Amino acid sequence: MYGSPLREIHLIDTSYRANRRQARGIRGPRSALTDFLASNNISAQQIQDDYANRQAEAARQANEAQRQSVDPGAEQRRSPSEANSPEDLIKKRKRQQAITRIKNSKEFAKRKARLSGDHDPEYDDESLANQIHEERQRPQPGQLANCEICEKRFTVTPYSKTGPGGGLLCPDCSKKHKADEKKPPAKKRATGNIGRRQNQTNLLDGLTPHGTQSLLETCIKKVADYIHDVEDFGDLPPSLLLRLGQILSRRRAVTPKTLDLFIRPQYRSIDLFDCAKLDTDDFHKILASMPHLTRVNLRFTTPFKDEIIQYMVDRDMQIKDLHLDGANLVTDACWRHLFQKLGHRLQSLKLWNLNSAFDDETAQVMCKQCPNLQRLKLKFLHKTGNGTLEAISSLPFLEHLSLHYLKETEIDPKHLWSIMSAVGSRLKTLSLEEFELVDDKLLQLIHEQCHSLTKLRLSKNFTFTDAGLAALFVNWPNQALTYVDMNSLRDVDMTNPNGPEQPIGLASSAFVALMEHSGAKLQHLNIASCRHIPYQAFEQVFAEGKVYPELKYLDLSFSPAVDDYIAMCIFRCCPALQRLVVFACFKIRDIHIPRGLAVIGTVGATVKIDGVAQTETI
Amino acid sequence: MADSVSEYVTLVSHDDYEFIVSRSAACISGTIRRMLDPSSKFSEGLTGRCKLDDMSGIVLEKVCEYLCYNEKNKDQTNVPDMDIPPELCLELLMAADYLDT
Repeated sequence: MYGSPLREIHLIDTSYRANRRQARGIRGPRSALTDFLASNNISAQQIQDDYANRQAEAARQANEAQRQSVDPGAEQRRSPSEANSPEDLIKKRKRQQAITRIKNSKEFAKRKARLSGDHDPEYDDESLANQIHEERQRPQPGQLANCEICEKRFTVTPYSKTGPGGGLLCPDCSKKHKADEKKPPAKKRATGNIGRRQNQTNLLDGLTPHGTQSLLETCIKKVADYIHDVEDFGDLPPSLLLRLGQILSRRRAVTPKTLDLFIRPQYRSIDLFDCAKLDTDDFHKILASMPHLTRVNLRFTTPFKDEIIQYMVDRDMQIKDLHLDGANLVTDACWRHLFQKLGHRLQSLKLWNLNSAFDDETAQVMCKQCPNLQRLKLKFLHKTGNGTLEAISSLPFLEHLSLHYLKETEIDPKHLWSIMSAVGSRLKTLSLEEFELVDDKLLQLIHEQCHSLTKLRLSKNFTFTDAGLAALFVNWPNQALTYVDMNSLRDVDMTNPNGPEQPIGLASSAFVALMEHSGAKLQHLNIASCRHIPYQAFEQVFAEGKVYPELKYLDLSFSPAVDDYIAMCIFRCCPALQRLVVFACFKIRDIHIPRGLAVIGTVGATVKIDGVAQTETI
Repeated sequence: MADSVSEYVTLVSHDDYEFIVSRSAACISGTIRRMLDPSSKFSEGLTGRCKLDDMSGIVLEKVCEYLCYNEKNKDQTNVPDMDIPPELCLELLMAADYLDT
C-alpha cells in the first residue's frame, strides 16, 4: 500500500517542478502520507511521469550520441527538435554562453596552440570548445554519473575511467574496457640465447655449455641439495667427501648438524672450507672424535679458541698439516705453546687473516720449533713484518713458500734476498704477492738460486722492469714452470697510461721470454692487468706454428691489446685450453669458441660455439 | 665372437637385471670402457657382457638412463641436469664414482 509512493519519493530531484496538477479520480482509501503529499502539492503520479520522461530523454540522448560519433553533422540536424521545448532552449543558451566563455579563456588558447602543432584538421575551434565544455561538465569525484556504456548510475571516483566517447565508465565497464585493450605482446626470447648472468655463472663454475655434466657431479649436487635428509654417508671415499665439503661450504651449509656427516673416527684428515656456523664445542667434537687426525684444514674458524689448541697439545695429536683461516681468538702465548709442543711434527702450516695475534716473535718461535716445515703460507697476518721474513730464512727444509703481507707493511727487501739465498735452491713453489716495491734484484736472485721451481707467483708489483723479468727467464737453468701467475705487473702512473719508455712490469720481451722458457709445460698462466704487453708480443707468442700443449688456464683480463684475432690465435696455439678469462678485453666482439672451452668475462660479444650462436643479452 | 665387436653391450646388475645399451653410450663410463676394451682380453671385452656386482638393478637402471641421456645430449648446449630421485642419489653417487662417469 505504502510501497508505491515511498518508492517514488526517492526519485524526487531538483529538477522537479510541481507546476502541473493532474485531476484524476482517486479510488480506494487514502493513506496519511498521500494526504500529506497532496496538501504539499506533490503528486505521486507526476513523479512517476517525470521519471519516465527522464528515462526516455536519457535513452534518446544516448542514441544521438552514438549517431553523432558516426556522423559529425548530426549536431546541426538535431537543433530544430531540441528547440522544441523551452527548457532545452535555456539549456542551449547557457551552453552557448559557456562555450563563448571557454573560447576566450586561457586554457582554450593553450590547448589550441598545442594542437595546432599537430595539424589535425578535425580539431577546429568549435569542437575543441565543446570538448572543454564537456570536460568541465563531467561530475567530480564523489558525485554520481551514468556509465557511458551500460547507463548504470555509479559514484565517480578519481580512478574512474574515461570511455571511448569521452564519458565516464562504471567500475564493471572499466574492467571490461581495460580487458579489451590490446596487451603489449610478451617479449620473446630467442631460443639459444641465455641470460648473461646465468651464462657467466655457469662459466665461472667451470661448466661449458656443452653436453651433460658427469653423473658424479650431478649426484654430488643432488646429495648436497638433500643434505639435511642424509643420516650417514656410508663408506664414501675421501675424495668425494672433500668435494661434498667444498660444495656445502660454498652454500654455507656446514652446520653442527651436517658436521656430523664429515666426522669419521678412522679418517686422518678433515677439510671444511666454511666453519662460520660452527661453535667452539664443535671444534672440540672434531678433535675428540677423530683422534688420528694428521691434517686439519679449517677455514673461517672464528670460534677457534685457545682451549682448542690446548686440547690438541694435551692429547699430543699427530697433526702434520695445520691450515687455519681466521683463528683470531688464539693468543700469541697459545700459538707459541703449540709450536713448542707439536712444532716438531708440523710439515705444513698455513695461516690466514690474523690481526690480533701472531707477531714477529711468535713467528720466530715457530721457525725455531718447527724445523721440519716444508710448506709455509702466511697471508694477511697483520702483526708480522721484517722479523718474520728474517726467521723464515732459517727454515732448513722449506720447499713451498707463500707470503702475502698487508700493503701497508714496510718491508726491507734485504730480508727477501736472504730468504732466496738461504732456501731458494730447495724451493719448489714460490708465491710473493703485493710486495710492491721489491725490485729487479729479487728477480736476479731467483734466477741465480731457484732451480727447482714448478710454480711461481710474483704479483702486484710496480717496480720490476721488463728487462729484469726477461733476464729472469732467459737462460734460466730452472725447468719449465707449470704454474705462472704474474698478474698486475705494470706501471701505475695515472698521468702516463702507456708507461715509461723502458717498460715497467711484464711487457713485450719478458712475456716472450716467459713463454719461450716455460711454454712447453705451462698449464696455468695468469697475466691479468699486465697492460704493457703490446699487440705484437701477443702476435709473436701465439704465432702460427707455436703450440702450448699443456696450457689449460689463461687469464688475460685487462689486457687492452687482445682482440678477436688474438683470441683465435690463442685457440689455435692452445689445444688443451679449458678456460680463457678476458674481463675488460673490450676488443673481443665476435669469437668462435672451440668445444670444451669456457671463455669468461666477455661483455656483449657474439659468442659462437660449434655453430650455435649466442648473443648475450645484457 | 671375439673378433666381431657388436654395437650393443649388456650390463648386468648383481641381482641379475640385464640392460642392453649401445657401446658408444656405455663407454662414457671410464670403467666400462676399460672393461670392454678388446685389447685388454678381459672376459667382458670378449663377450660384451659386464657384470657389475656392486650395483642393484634399480641403480643400474638409473645409470643406463644417464648413459643414454648423455649420449643423446652430447651435442646440445645448456642441457639441464638429469632428474635423480633423492633417495637414490647416495647409492648412485657411489656407483658413479666406481664407474668413473
